Amino acid sequence: MVDKQGEGARGQPATSAWSVPQGRRTDEWSQCVVRIAEHRDRAAFGKFFSHFAPLIKAFALSGSSLSAAHADELVQEVMLKVWQKAAGFNPEKAAASTWVYTIARNCRTDMFRRLQKFDTQLEAEDVGFELEGAEPTMALHASRGAVRVRELMSDLPQDQAQILAKVYMEGKSHSETAAELGLPLGTVKSRVRLAIQKLQVFMDVGSEE
Amino acid sequence: MVKYHPDTNTLLEFAASSLPAAQSVVVSTHLQFCSECRQRLAQLESLGATMFEDAQPIDINPSVFDNVLARLDEVQEVHAANDANASTMSWTVKQIRKGNLDELDWKKVTRSLRIADLGEIEGAAEFSLYHIAEGGRIPQHNHSGTEMTLVLQGGFSDESGSYHAGDFIIREAGDIHAPTALPGSDCICLAVLEAPLRFTRWHHRWLSPLLQLRAG
Repeated sequence: MVDKQGEGARGQPATSAWSVPQGRRTDEWSQCVVRIAEHRDRAAFGKFFSHFAPLIKAFALSGSSLSAAHADELVQEVMLKVWQKAAGFNPEKAAASTWVYTIARNCRTDMFRRLQKFDTQLEAEDVGFELEGAEPTMALHASRGAVRVRELMSDLPQDQAQILAKVYMEGKSHSETAAELGLPLGTVKSRVRLAIQKLQVFMDVGSEE
Repeated sequence: MVKYHPDTNTLLEFAASSLPAAQSVVVSTHLQFCSECRQRLAQLESLGATMFEDAQPIDINPSVFDNVLARLDEVQEVHAANDANASTMSWTVKQIRKGNLDELDWKKVTRSLRIADLGEIEGAAEFSLYHIAEGGRIPQHNHSGTEMTLVLQGGFSDESGSYHAGDFIIREAGDIHAPTALPGSDCICLAVLEAPLRFTRWHHRWLSPLLQLRAG
């Protein structure tokens, strides 16, 4: 995909909130993962751990879906995967924070399934889609884009922000979200779509080919 | 050119990993065909990552870090063991991704229809591949649950339109249709019929397929 600045339709900005110039990421967390991969650097791993482990724990405990003991177990699993998969991380294609988020998300889904004793035969990784290694375009998530989304996020109406938190941070499906909030499924679906629109998540889709 | 895509809600559930396994396989197979949806997925994942990064951090007991350090060297072995234990379903999903469809267990149903039942999977009453000979027709049917279909090869048409490789189609419960393979080549589709009995409460979610097995 080519970044077509200035070609947005109807006076909208041409690029989505995520768009940033392409190129190798130099943020400290991406550099950290690269050092872990290339030098098996335990000091870099320690630094990465002290930043991300408390976030993984918060993610695990969102909506009280896991006990504190399981949350610690999840932190360990995710950090072991970080160590193990660091060589597959490509700083040109994804931000380290997005990379570690997808690992945490998959590990949590697998843990939910194990805890429910459901012999699913499939792990989240089996059914997911690894964007890394797809075309050199994706997830252009740098500080500038994130700042803009954060600004838009602070203006999001509470009822939409609450639903986004449930679907992302708590990992709940739309129908679970609807049941918990006592809302019709259609209301949850339309609030999700409104929130995605307001955050300008998809702005440049459709104008790129 | 892919014309029919998963909607934002479905793609977001996929991005947040809350879509059941069977439906996730259909969405991820669509993503192999569709760069537009890959882009949308990347954007939805970035949003999830931003929320993750902005969470209020929760202190970790130092023993957790010590445990992780102690286990760093065993990681490779665990990984190898996992690969050796890969399930039949995981193998099946890989064959679909690679397009090795001949390897699957096809059964002849009518002169123009063969079906490969892909087995029991979370979230689905039926998870299967359909092979319709060119110009062949599937008898009219309706659905007790939502049906999600992805065209893998060839194409088919029904009362609502015609669909080609990569197209992602949802039919709601109660919709009636009689798909006919387009002329020119055989049509192969991946289809998931949602489990008709589905608990909506979070801690019951993974029970639904189990109950179906027992009921079946």
